[in-house]
Amino acid sequence: MTPRGAPSSTTVWLDPALSRFTPLSRILFFDDFDRGLNGWTALVGNYERSLGSMLPEYRDLRPPMLSNISMWDTGTVGGLDGTYALKLATRPKAGSMAVALKRLTWRYAGPLRLEVIFTYKPEAVALELLETQVRAFGFAFDLQVGDRASGPVERVMPHLRYVNALEGRRMEKWQFKRAVEPMRDIGDSGRTRSHFHLAPTGWEDVPDGAQRLCYNEIATKHNWYYVRIGFDLGSMSFTEFRCNDRVFDASGIAPMRFPAVPNAWCMINPLMWVEADAATRAFLYVDSVILSAEVDS
Amino acid sequence: MIRRSHTAVVERDVLWTGPFASEPYEAAWASEAVFFVRTLEPGTLGPGAAARVQLSPDGMLWTDEGTTIPLRAEPGVTFGRVSHFGGWLRLAGELRPSDALKVIVYLVLKE
Repeated sequence: MTPRGAPSSTTVWLDPALSRFTPLSRILFFDDFDRGLNGWTALVGNYERSLGSMLPEYRDLRPPMLSNISMWDTGTVGGLDGTYALKLATRPKAGSMAVALKRLTWRYAGPLRLEVIFTYKPEAVALELLETQVRAFGFAFDLQVGDRASGPVERVMPHLRYVNALEGRRMEKWQFKRAVEPMRDIGDSGRTRSHFHLAPTGWEDVPDGAQRLCYNEIATKHNWYYVRIGFDLGSMSFTEFRCNDRVFDASGIAPMRFPAVPNAWCMINPLMWVEADAATRAFLYVDSVILSAEVDS
Repeated sequence: MIRRSHTAVVERDVLWTGPFASEPYEAAWASEAVFFVRTLEPGTLGPGAAARVQLSPDGMLWTDEGTTIPLRAEPGVTFGRVSHFGGWLRLAGELRPSDALKVIVYLVLKE
């Protein structure tokens, strides 16, 4: 009998890096950041003619980099394996965010599974615990149906975040967001619009979503975590959500849904982000990430 | 194996005035780097205005690498090349309080 949560194929066990994951039948990408950024790039807001036309919230989203996770007191941490991890670093300012995303399109409106091995920390700027300096980190998709969709012609954005702290108070819980931020016109052509889906408003608690993670005892010690998010492109709904040993009820969480936009058919953009809660840089590190799907052929 | 490379936009549409520093960027995987400073619109600068390349062992304490990049008040681009820089890179400098420059800073890294 296959143990619960075991990889779906014995082939997976031949690769120790892949064996950490439980992918669906088709791997769309498997990114180990020892091989580079693998197409994970910075998020910029929509603009027309001038960068200044961008919504203010989008103007300074910080870009990803490759880090060997070197600490002032102990030296290099490295990845879960190998040397490098993707790193997102905010500015040292409460509310500052760093975002990485990857852009592709889908070919079958079926189940998706995103699995990520990650850790988070504030910059070790003081000889203190600093455990409330990181406000939140999260994982999301930006999706749209195909141009011949038979159902609702929608753009759909499943978002999940872990709120670690808010204004210096420990929160330590998962949240989702189905509230849609207002769509605003950009420039004067009538062809460009934008909305800031990562805004702090509209987040709801995942049912029974409180979870204490392994922050460890000082700011320079890092423990890796596992998160899994399942989403079905057919029903456009969450199918699973897990972090480490905790499996949450996916029926209690929902994505943002709103009318499709003209130029994003079959879009599937996974996103990751981190947000600072204080005047200290907040870091999210990702050792590896895998997106898998069930496909028709 | 082809050499990996990456262009990071470490500052975008940022207004420099008085003391400035770009956000730290990790580059331990790379062996060479070029900082480009692009002036986006006409600004004001005193004579000899420049940005200094800085290194850091931990992303928090910084020291000058020795390379300086001249800044230009008119739209255009200047650059500085560095190598053997360890783990972190940034630019720092100081403009006169009355001066201002709107820039994009690119960090072009290569294995």
